[in-house]
Amino acid sequence: MTAARSRDDLRATAERLVKLGRARGADEVEVQIGRGFEFHVDVRLGAVENLVEAGSRSVGFRVIKDGRTASAGSSDLAWPVLERLMTNAVARAGLAHPDPCAGLPPHSPFSVDIPGLALFDPEVPRLASRTKIALALKTERIALADKRITNSHGAGFSSHHGEVLLANSNGFLGSYQQSYCSLGLGLQAGDTDDLAEDGWSTSRRHFRDLESPEDVARRAVERTVRQIHPRKIATRNVPVIFEPDMTGWLLGFLFGCVAGTAVYQRASFLADRMGDAIAAPGVTVIDDGLMPGMPGTRPFDAEGVPCRRTVVVEAGVLKTFLTNAYAGRKLGTASTGNGDGGGVGPNNFYLVPGTVPPADIVRSVDEGLLLVRTLGHGLNPVTGDISRGAFGLWIEGGAPAYPVAEITIAGNLGELLRRIEIVGNDLDFRSAVSGPTIKVAEMTVAGR
Amino acid sequence: MTPHSDGGSVRTLPYVDHFGLTSPDLRRLLGLALASGGDFAEVFCEYRTSAFILMEEDLIKETAETISLGLGVRVLKGEMTGYGYANDLSRPSLEAAARTAAAIASGRGRARPRPIKGRGRPLRLYPVRVPAHKATLDKKIALVQEAYASAQAHDPAVVRVRVALGDGVQYVCVVNAEGHWARDVRPLVKMSCSVIAERNGRKESGYHGGGGRVGLEYFEEDLAPRAIGREAAAEAVRLLDAREAPAGEMPVVLAPGHAGVLIHEAVGHLLEADFHRRRTSVFWNKMGAKVGADSVTIIDDPTIPRFRGSYNIDDEGTVPRPTLLVENGRAVGRLQDILSARVFKSAPTGHGRREDYSFWPIPRMSNIYIAAGRQSPEEIIGSVGKGLYAEQFQGGQVEDSGKFTFSVSSGYLIEGGRLTAPVKQATLIGTNIDILNKIAMVGNDLRFGLQTGTCSKDGQDVPVTDGCPTLKISEMTVGGRT
Repeated sequence: MTAARSRDDLRATAERLVKLGRARGADEVEVQIGRGFEFHVDVRLGAVENLVEAGSRSVGFRVIKDGRTASAGSSDLAWPVLERLMTNAVARAGLAHPDPCAGLPPHSPFSVDIPGLALFDPEVPRLASRTKIALALKTERIALADKRITNSHGAGFSSHHGEVLLANSNGFLGSYQQSYCSLGLGLQAGDTDDLAEDGWSTSRRHFRDLESPEDVARRAVERTVRQIHPRKIATRNVPVIFEPDMTGWLLGFLFGCVAGTAVYQRASFLADRMGDAIAAPGVTVIDDGLMPGMPGTRPFDAEGVPCRRTVVVEAGVLKTFLTNAYAGRKLGTASTGNGDGGGVGPNNFYLVPGTVPPADIVRSVDEGLLLVRTLGHGLNPVTGDISRGAFGLWIEGGAPAYPVAEITIAGNLGELLRRIEIVGNDLDFRSAVSGPTIKVAEMTVAGR
Repeated sequence: MTPHSDGGSVRTLPYVDHFGLTSPDLRRLLGLALASGGDFAEVFCEYRTSAFILMEEDLIKETAETISLGLGVRVLKGEMTGYGYANDLSRPSLEAAARTAAAIASGRGRARPRPIKGRGRPLRLYPVRVPAHKATLDKKIALVQEAYASAQAHDPAVVRVRVALGDGVQYVCVVNAEGHWARDVRPLVKMSCSVIAERNGRKESGYHGGGGRVGLEYFEEDLAPRAIGREAAAEAVRLLDAREAPAGEMPVVLAPGHAGVLIHEAVGHLLEADFHRRRTSVFWNKMGAKVGADSVTIIDDPTIPRFRGSYNIDDEGTVPRPTLLVENGRAVGRLQDILSARVFKSAPTGHGRREDYSFWPIPRMSNIYIAAGRQSPEEIIGSVGKGLYAEQFQGGQVEDSGKFTFSVSSGYLIEGGRLTAPVKQATLIGTNIDILNKIAMVGNDLRFGLQTGTCSKDGQDVPVTDGCPTLKISEMTVGGRT
């Protein structure tokens, strides 16, 4: 079956389901079909450990009848199964409660230039398995040549390409193809009773944008060996520098607090803070679904709302909550194009970089923590409280002095945002939620 | 091998009906899988149905029904795994999955799949009386409303309640080239309630839940929905008066039950055999060695009836057995799947699990607990001059080096041997062997945590529980604030 033929089949299935739902009595119907192909190889100590290839597809839909919602999903696309699920869903909707905010978003003319978003790299499906295996093997081999590395968690290469198709009873019909690939490596240094562990990975939509095996190996080795023989420090309040991946982690937590679903449920400490200065003036946070080639880019969201650029925090002031159609109605606004899997999700959600190189940020700290990894949970969006296990480098006199471990960091996201003193210039969209290096004036670092 | 072919054929294995596969079909797939010289081949068939109800803002907001159907083929060659899966059950797709898995080996296949036979006497760990998947939606909605109303009525400070009820049935069938065939039908029910309480501008949250491999009788006999709602609300309201947890090293007493997450993180993961054959776990070279205090005995038991982490067979078809991991402070056992058992030339312990057909199985925990000791909880708390009593937990994480954390959502200060002020949100961090040696007292009150837990490893989520009696750790780093 050709790709085009099979795409027509998916579209026909989606349109047929929409029609069936309406015929069964639903006021509104929305159908999403995904189809993809994945490849994954793990290599370890020079040999292939796991090799996976598979294609899969799934359908998800929801129906709304008299303001009552029901949804369903299936990985079995046989028509009798879908027919039964649709009939059940319409019947089940009758048992939910009517909700004036329920319903599909209004139809909006769709004018996004999909090819211009560069979501799909035709090279990804064409990559030969042996090329991908060779990249993983090479990455690990380079790292293991460093005598300070004592064991490997293995290197891996993954690729995924597929198609998303969405149709609804308001007349929306859209689809796009996308691809991803990634190359990563995990390492151990030190002996069994004094292990340091870390790694590095690169993930992009386009194969040519991946970091080279040499670069991935070098970063993984550097990150691992710098943590050998950590010390434990005494509990104190100090400035903390977040490396970009740690800023990304913090932004992920911020996203959970500006997501309209958390806001209307009053499950966010920012729920009543619209228009307030919630962060330092140097902090601007943006959600942008239209940046060509970026990991969180898409032409339309899971409800068919065109994606856009939304300023969430501007110079420290909270400007917008991110919504799907439902959360938007709850908050009295239109959807920001953040509908995702029945809830709200980020597009490219990032902290706008400043001008200071990361090395200068480290130099600005007389005594403090360079945070490189965290471990565990300990995030509470209701209060903004943060408490996590941490690994880092202790900074003395403007330079990293020694690694520290078995410490925790604690603070509150609200306080942290206000205490961001410096925003670095090193933003790199390693994932859909990203930020540059930042310096927070003070946090509690607990140790001895 | 067309989907939905005429069922009822005498050659069709029960529970493979959804796939329309016959025994000869499966043997043919296994033969294809071994065609390039693999040592072992296996077909995993899964059909899963699940239902979900959500209530918030006083409304039944949504109900959902999901079907998942797929088949995975695995081939082992030495320590290498080839894996392919398909949810499009056409003959070309299934054969492609088998050929993909076969490609891990390169050579000529000699092994031929043996005739398929059942194995062993099956366990019967899920004596369900009122199957949730057969109950009417009305009945399940009433349970959700009961929990919701009880949380809301608990205290005027309660401002938001959210109750979710999920139930599902997973039909699995595993057939391998050694001729073993096994199947399981696993029910799973989970109700969870989260509450936000607000007073004088301060907000806090609470959580409670329950379930297991049970039917709806659970909500009458074991844990009533109104108790789930009440407990969630009570935690949120209690935290409104809580102060920040202290920071620094101090004695920590863990409340019985969900503090078993400490054992899960600090010990369980590091005795999963894949980390041993790769020699990445801090425990790999310590089998038989002393790794903790004499009072510490740890068991993982997949055979506890009705528990969320239990199963009649694991996802490789092995009938599981309780596995002693640490005995009187000595590391004595590992959690083995088929691959690691082949490497260690030992028997699988029945701990090969997978999230669904799109993953290959890896060694996992089921229900892990630390065995009861002799001291009473009062004695243990009474022995602490100044420290932290950790009561409710959010979860934890460990790395192979043995460094682990777990998050305490609420607890109390211990002052002069008594629980005093409530405290909130703290992360505890330690290194496993150090902490195991600092377990100074083990209580006589073994309990299990909420039947709502999920464990993630290598991107795969599986249901688990963990348990422990009251424990005293003589000194541990508490990540509160100063």
